[in-house]
Amino acid sequence: MIRSENGYFGEFGGRYVPEILLPALTELENMFNELRDDPTFWQEYVSLCQEFSGRPTPLTPLRRLSQELGGAQIWLKREDLNHSGAHKVNNALGQGLLVKRMGKKRIIAETGAGQHGLATAIVAARMGLQATIYMGADDIERQYSNVFWMRQLGAEVVGVETGARTLKEALDEALRDWAATVETTHYVLGTACGPAPFPELVTYFQSVISQEMREQALKQIGRLPDEVVACVGGGSNALGAFSAFFDDKDVALVGVEAGGISFEKGEHSIRMLPDTAEPGIAQGYKTLFLQDEDGQLGDTHSIAAGLDYVGVSPILAHLSQTGRVIPESATDKEVTDAFSLLMKTEGIIPALESSHALAGGFKRAKSMRPDQHLVINLSGRGDKDIFNIARAFPQPEWPEFLKREAARCQKQVDAAKESN
Amino acid sequence: MFPKQNDRLQVMSHAVVGFPTLDENEKAIAGLVASGVNLIELQVPFSDPVADGHTLVNACYHALKNGGSVRATLDLCAKVSKQHPDASFILMSYLNPLYRYGLERLFRDAAAAGFKGMIIPDMPVEQFEPHMPLLDELGLAPILMVTPNTPDERVARIAQSARGMVYVVSRMGVTGKQTHWDDDFRAYVARIRRYTDLPLAIGFGIRSADDLKALTGTAEVAAFCSKYIEWQRDDGSEVAAQKMKTLLTEAELV
Repeated sequence: MIRSENGYFGEFGGRYVPEILLPALTELENMFNELRDDPTFWQEYVSLCQEFSGRPTPLTPLRRLSQELGGAQIWLKREDLNHSGAHKVNNALGQGLLVKRMGKKRIIAETGAGQHGLATAIVAARMGLQATIYMGADDIERQYSNVFWMRQLGAEVVGVETGARTLKEALDEALRDWAATVETTHYVLGTACGPAPFPELVTYFQSVISQEMREQALKQIGRLPDEVVACVGGGSNALGAFSAFFDDKDVALVGVEAGGISFEKGEHSIRMLPDTAEPGIAQGYKTLFLQDEDGQLGDTHSIAAGLDYVGVSPILAHLSQTGRVIPESATDKEVTDAFSLLMKTEGIIPALESSHALAGGFKRAKSMRPDQHLVINLSGRGDKDIFNIARAFPQPEWPEFLKREAARCQKQVDAAKESN
Repeated sequence: MFPKQNDRLQVMSHAVVGFPTLDENEKAIAGLVASGVNLIELQVPFSDPVADGHTLVNACYHALKNGGSVRATLDLCAKVSKQHPDASFILMSYLNPLYRYGLERLFRDAAAAGFKGMIIPDMPVEQFEPHMPLLDELGLAPILMVTPNTPDERVARIAQSARGMVYVVSRMGVTGKQTHWDDDFRAYVARIRRYTDLPLAIGFGIRSADDLKALTGTAEVAAFCSKYIEWQRDDGSEVAAQKMKTLLTEAELV
């Protein structure tokens, strides 16, 4: 596992927050430092993941697809099979254990695609905690099914109307809530970003992915894979998939960012490639941020709400500079192609976020030899994306159905009103 | 300049550079000075102001569209500090715009523009410490924040690098909501006084003449910012200045 030096990874990381948040971050850091080397705590966490979320998730060979592409043997680490449908629940469960130790009764979270919000709402319901989830108003429109479930689970979902109304603003708003409630509330930050110790803490919990992957590869392949590929939004699934391999120099680690529509400013969310993001300090930490010359954080775009973020984990920013992590990107178009290919060839419905890893991984696999092995971290499943996918593959029967369904729902809402 | 300990309470107010427009900033500041305000924060608008409530978040958003920036803030200060030699101007900014500008260059340019102090909510004292010799040489005061939950040993550390005054955040949370000036608050102020002889500026939640009266005798400075920006937003800068004058009269501060 990678360790920070006082919260820094190379020049990145740190803790740049309003004074009011420092005591809670120090408390969290102290608790984390005590628990991280305690094998019984790790065991408690792994058992919880097992009994509640179905871990270990399988390592699935893609035999038909590998043959069709004609390059390396491709494997999927199936984080999509987690309860809640994505890797996000690992971190939410882990932080839930910390909340229990802290004795706090309320948790808050930011969410982009809604997967982290959903995971947090699930953990809150299971532990009997109150939950408030901040989500950009535009993301709410893009990922309404997750909003629906969060509310059904009993969480309060607050739409954030400021700025570009996406993940960045949701994170700002969660920090504002925390500044007012820090003594009774824990902030379940969803990715390996933000002020120390969050990048390290989230990576620690998500590293369960690569620890399993390593064991499974040794058993199923007979050796370590040649490459591990993951998509990078904030960076939590990538760090989860990479962290057990940091010392295995022969295992290439590839992070695929959202190439969006084009390389033009505001049309992508690429932070680690040249001529994109620059070092900056915001949202509590130092990393590569998409920003203008005045240091104003920039606009981003991705077909996947979960990758649409202006910064990136300070750990990945550092590792991309040292060369340990290879940055790549995939455009919206490449992503939907990879999505279809996996679905039709292997019968697996991936999330659009994870489809970035597929697009990047398939491209690399093609240029590799058949005796080589490449593992793609399938961070989430795609059924939540039904509305976006329907937009990416337009067909007349879908809007027709929605009209009929809307009419049916309206009728029931009206009837309920009358009987009141 | 900054008040001294036990000076009578004075109000510090605010401009978000570019809100409502860059031209209007100059007029609004003239109005504040004419109303009797001599401490004015010039805020560099930022895309992600995490310590601010909605009034200032929205003002930042508009200010950025109207050309608010670090450069514009320095230019504005150069002008208004000449026009109003009796007023002190304080640079308020989140860290990233200043970091991008280059911190050392910024400190020199800010001092040259006439700024007397700086408030940077997301720059902790540890980050200021290496810059203290330069800041002292330039006479640019880091106005550092303490909060109700800041432990004693940290208050002591903050007090060591604080210059000009100490910014006492009155309560938990962000700017723009009411605070209660109760016994807990007075005990908190007394706790901070044990670590510093600097005057104390109280900020967050000061929204009326009653608030100012409650603080008279407790602190030397009261930051009256979000409410003033709301006046400016709703009624324009001229009326906002009149309201400021009425406020100071009602609070018996002029």
